[in-house]
Amino acid sequence: MKKHIISIVLIALGVFLLASSFIGGFKEKGEVSLDIEKTETIMPAAHNVYNNEEALNGKYYLFKARLTNNTNKILEDVTVKYRIPGFIEWTELEVIGEMFSGQIAAIRAYPKFKDDITEKMTESVEKVDIEITWDGAEEDDIIEESFSFRISDRNEFKFTNVPASEILGWSDVHNNTALLACFVTPNDPIVKYYTQNIQEKMLKGESAGVTKDPKEAMRFLMGIYEATRQSHMVYSGTKMIPESLTDISKFSQSNRLPREVITGNTGLCLELSTLYASILSSAGIDPIIFLVPGHAYPGFKMNGQYYAIEATGIGGEGLGGIQTVDKAVETGMKSLQDFFTKQQQGDPRYTMVDIHVANQNGATAMVLKDDDFLRKKVDEMVAVWGEGKSNKKQIVYVQPTSSTTRDVTPRPAVNRSLSVAIPSSWQTIRRPYPDIPVLTANAIAPDQATSISVFDVPTANANEAMDLIRSYLYSYGQEVSYQLNGNQVVGQTYSSYGTLNWVGKVLNKGNNIRIVTVGAPDYLYNQKSGVINQLFNSIR
Amino acid sequence: MKDSKRQSKYWVMLVLVFCVCILNAQQMQQKIEMRIDSIGNARLDITMKMNAQQWQQWIGSLGNNPAALKREIEREMPGYFLDNFKLEKDDMNRSFNLKLDAYGVCKIDKRGNWIIELEEKDTQLTELDSHKYMLVNSPPEYGGQMQQTFMITLPETANNIKTAKDAYGKDIFKFTMEDPSEAGFSGLLPWIGLLLIGGGVSWFFVGKKTQKA
Repeated sequence: MKKHIISIVLIALGVFLLASSFIGGFKEKGEVSLDIEKTETIMPAAHNVYNNEEALNGKYYLFKARLTNNTNKILEDVTVKYRIPGFIEWTELEVIGEMFSGQIAAIRAYPKFKDDITEKMTESVEKVDIEITWDGAEEDDIIEESFSFRISDRNEFKFTNVPASEILGWSDVHNNTALLACFVTPNDPIVKYYTQNIQEKMLKGESAGVTKDPKEAMRFLMGIYEATRQSHMVYSGTKMIPESLTDISKFSQSNRLPREVITGNTGLCLELSTLYASILSSAGIDPIIFLVPGHAYPGFKMNGQYYAIEATGIGGEGLGGIQTVDKAVETGMKSLQDFFTKQQQGDPRYTMVDIHVANQNGATAMVLKDDDFLRKKVDEMVAVWGEGKSNKKQIVYVQPTSSTTRDVTPRPAVNRSLSVAIPSSWQTIRRPYPDIPVLTANAIAPDQATSISVFDVPTANANEAMDLIRSYLYSYGQEVSYQLNGNQVVGQTYSSYGTLNWVGKVLNKGNNIRIVTVGAPDYLYNQKSGVINQLFNSIR
Repeated sequence: MKDSKRQSKYWVMLVLVFCVCILNAQQMQQKIEMRIDSIGNARLDITMKMNAQQWQQWIGSLGNNPAALKREIEREMPGYFLDNFKLEKDDMNRSFNLKLDAYGVCKIDKRGNWIIELEEKDTQLTELDSHKYMLVNSPPEYGGQMQQTFMITLPETANNIKTAKDAYGKDIFKFTMEDPSEAGFSGLLPWIGLLLIGGGVSWFFVGKKTQKA
């Protein structure tokens, strides 16, 4: 027996190694572990950022999960799902083909909330359920985890999502400033309507978005100021922007939307800034919001230069000290000088948000629906314009260095024969289709995106004219849907090339009806809305 | 100002941390080494040298506040779990070295391919050897003021290394790799066991023959 002891030991050791390799080896069988990093608060206004992995470097996720395979097996088809009861059904986040023993996977969730989240007027605490399974996972293996988070009301803006006790510097305080772009709503129908009124009734025409002339853009900025001043808008007077790293009360605030500022006829500095930015953007101008300690003011960027106005100069009748538009411009431009001086000195409290750049980086505007009641409120505001004698004075921007006072640069002249101000760089073709005799002319922008069509129809009725145009275009494989509202018409043209969104005006020319439309492909319409509004307003 | 700059996720991830230095017109060189291990984690090693003014600015903003530096890096790399930060400053030579681990950089797709996303289109990758690649980048956000040299080292066990494009046209590394547990000692366990059993049986019969003889 003693002679066989070595062979017995070898065989026993071999059997042990063989068995242990099958039943899990020396390592103790562990588990799959899950660690969650969650976002404390979701701002409904920024829901288009939270649902986009590419937006703002992807830093706005609902949660980030660290999944570690602590077992000694390869896990196959690891599936991560989550849901937010009441908002998002079970959604598959990721399927990982294989996870080796010890391997870590980092998974982020970008929840796609419905657009109606922007109608949320109260905050709430919601729950997220997470489930992780893999091929061959038994009931006990499946990972189920839940956590709660807060969805604020649509007006809340948090300057930072870093807890107050963890603030290390100004980059933490200004962590969310790009999200201000979500509160700038140029496509809100109410803002568009207000903008059109400023362009038509306050400024009697405006072309800054097309001509890119800073003087014309400055005149537009002054027009916005005059519109707010003449409607007796009130600056609410509270400081909202953090002034120091311990200014905790200002890290989060309720921010009225531009439509609420217009119809409520009151706003704080930041709210007035988002209103101005929305109107400027709607007119095709690049808006900027300047943030300084305790204050914010709006402006724009054109041809590499910055311009600003002190929007809060409207003061309030109870507060006194209402500035004239010239004084507001002077104050704004002086603040701008101070801004760049401080920024050059490296003061991190002086920062700006370029709204269109933020939009390009994924901080897109919240989506808002049209509202007849609010339109009527805008009409009431507009009706007040001109009641005071100040409206008799034309709005003129005088450059500080210039000693002469002259009105803005010339706008593109209205082409009398076509009733619309076609920019000189555009290509105009008269009678482009002999088979469509009612189509008098087509004009197209150099980038081929925006176009104008002029129709002359031998009838005295706008509906008949539209029906005739529709039947002509139908024979060309194009289907038109439209809605007439007084002398304005809005519609879409569908064809194999895609959908064209357009707006137009109906002009009575004696025995004829002239319909002039301006449009762009649906995917470019918002981007081109400034030019389209401009051209629309030039139709005479 | 930072928010107004286009931010791509991975390759300019660390530039923003040093963006305060961009105020100076002199071009800066940054060297980033990324070593991927056998389970898809990365060890990053960043080295940078500055001129006197740049150094003063960096020290004033982040260099003397490593916690803020760590947070900035975490902010620029939200896709990964970062750990083991180690900052070494060389005041004499106005340079620093920062090391950190990034977990979960690689993923395995449904076909068993390991994937590393480069998050950039049309990257000019140079193959230095079968597992080492170099990429020189000058982020347009900084107007050519910053030159980054990336060295990417893939695991020794990686095979069939290819560069490809993902669904968005961005460049990716694609490769296959054995399960490290099979490739290592634990993968040899059944074979050692069989060898020992075989050895034991042989020893038994050899002992028996010797006994008969």
